[in-house]
Amino acid sequence: MKKSIVILCLALVLMTPLFAQGSKDEGLQIGCAIYKFDDTFMTSVRNAISAASTGKAKIDIVDSENSQAKQNEKVDMFITKGVNSLAINPVDRTAAGVIIDKAKKANIPVVFLNKEPLPEDLAKWDRVYYVGARAEESGTMSGQIIADYWKANPSADRNGDGILQYIMLKGEPGHQDAELRTEFSIKVLTDSGIKIEKLAEDTAMWDRPKAQDKMSSFIAAYGDRIEAVFANNDDMALGAIEALKAAGYFKGGKFLPVVGVDATAPALQALEEGTLLGTVLNDAKNQGQATFNLAYDLAQGKVPTDASIGYKITNGKYVWVPYQKVTKDNYKQFK
Amino acid sequence: MLFDLSKKKIQNFIMQKAIFLVLLMLVVVIAIINPKILRLVVLRDILMQSSTKVIMALGMMFVILTGGVDLGGGRLVGMAAVISASMLQTPDYLRRFFPDLPQLPLFVPIVMAVVVGILIGVLNGTIVAKFKVPAFIATLGSMLIIYGVNSIYFNMPPNNSQPIGGLRPDFTFLGSGSIGFVPVIVIFAALVSIAVWFVLNKTVFGKNVYAVGGNAEAATVSGVNITHTLMGLFAVCGGLIALSGVLEAARTGGATNNYGNGYELDAIASCVVGGVSTTGGVGSVPGVIAGVVIFSFINYGLTFVGVNPYWQSIIKGMIIVAAVSFDIRKYVQKK
Repeated sequence: MKKSIVILCLALVLMTPLFAQGSKDEGLQIGCAIYKFDDTFMTSVRNAISAASTGKAKIDIVDSENSQAKQNEKVDMFITKGVNSLAINPVDRTAAGVIIDKAKKANIPVVFLNKEPLPEDLAKWDRVYYVGARAEESGTMSGQIIADYWKANPSADRNGDGILQYIMLKGEPGHQDAELRTEFSIKVLTDSGIKIEKLAEDTAMWDRPKAQDKMSSFIAAYGDRIEAVFANNDDMALGAIEALKAAGYFKGGKFLPVVGVDATAPALQALEEGTLLGTVLNDAKNQGQATFNLAYDLAQGKVPTDASIGYKITNGKYVWVPYQKVTKDNYKQFK
Repeated sequence: MLFDLSKKKIQNFIMQKAIFLVLLMLVVVIAIINPKILRLVVLRDILMQSSTKVIMALGMMFVILTGGVDLGGGRLVGMAAVISASMLQTPDYLRRFFPDLPQLPLFVPIVMAVVVGILIGVLNGTIVAKFKVPAFIATLGSMLIIYGVNSIYFNMPPNNSQPIGGLRPDFTFLGSGSIGFVPVIVIFAALVSIAVWFVLNKTVFGKNVYAVGGNAEAATVSGVNITHTLMGLFAVCGGLIALSGVLEAARTGGATNNYGNGYELDAIASCVVGGVSTTGGVGSVPGVIAGVVIFSFINYGLTFVGVNPYWQSIIKGMIIVAAVSFDIRKYVQKK
């Protein structure tokens, strides 16, 4: 018993440097909560936030583990600790209202990022901002890539019926990005007068292995009827491409247009190899930079302006970071 | 005598083969909806999708045979996938995990990943055997630790949590190549299955595993070293799960730290549906394979006929409960 107490004390002593990082009290402190750490895109954003903060402010980034309840606990912790501003990537966009109430009470300004709070919540206080991309824009752009391909290549209509038969691989159901990307990638096709038919739509939870398994099942079910594959992100697009490769595609002129979103490194590689038709860059670097610049100004008690943060503020609350289309023509500049 | 199908015999037969009857029923139902599922390529797809899962479930079986579970299994899949993929990228890939790593022989990173799995298994086994921590709790802890360590590795510069791509063709051949019509990955799964069957049925260690799982006290009295057996079986479990993670990376051509998330529950479900008793001591290799194939077929088949993803979840849940309550009756009856 005594021995174990000694070991416990020793372990605690050894671990103190781990905790010490968080308790330094000099300079500005910004509390940042990310909805979950194993999301590829948000990881790039949080890396961009930490990169932007070096030498300026101390930023604590915590994992909300995809649970709004956990995130609220972390926010309470930040408030108790007395951070100078908050940067919050909500788990659930409707939960922002509660966080704004807490922050307003403690007079700590908040920057939300990547998941857009409801307008009525943002209107509650003037020291609340939002940084993000318009999710519908990414859908529109991936739809345009397919539309351009369809119009330029009459052979893309494999069965010659004048209708585009497609498969949709969705992200997590109910996720704002998944729903909007799905809706707008198709809307742009119908808007530009292309007739479409949905063969199948299923969720692969943003996951490459799941997308690969679903796609091989779709290939078996629909075979040559499939004329295009939309994926809500690159991981799933690449999973679909693996399944298509196994079914003999991308060899000897057998091609099928597949689009994704995110422009990850493996996706750019696939563009180079000619398997992926296109992707859309969700600009993590600029989202992270804009988030930090806003939070930094707010932490100092300043009122942010276009000039002070280097990004355009719309309606006094929104910083929109645009998406960019990435295809074989321009992928090199994103490497 | 051949036609002596008394009521009791039929009942007995149905109970013994309940799992296979469930599979047969599913095939029939789905084939009625879409007969195109009755093709050789579909069988090949399902076997390919089952391969990594069979290897993982067989590893999991060792732990379940002693009445425990390995909750860290899914995250170990992710760790093994990331370790092997990080060292098996093509030299000309732009975003290499280790930019200056020379071309390693194929087996080196694979063996490294498997050894990491074995070490984690030994650690789990030690905690369970020496400190008498229930496997459920010990592996809940290791699940969190493995994920944390893997994420730190995955987030190292220059990778910064980007998905790992550009895997070497000799590596991806293991996951997606074929020798004739037979996929390499299926050969792997078959060899592992034979080896596991041999170990469990023809070696002293295998008999000890069943003995410890069936009745630990009786096993001790008859001279079985419980500590060594537990450490050994956790090591086998870790090694097999790591191997399945390596093959998952090879099969999908990429890896992220989120690979394998939730696979442990699939593996447990497959074992249980395949007749492995959660109280320990009962279970067979063919049963586990049947359990995995049933789940792969459910996933494949429901996607194939286009069932809504929410309903897929409901149907899977019902099949687990139904199959197990049917299967468990044969043991209840014995007692």
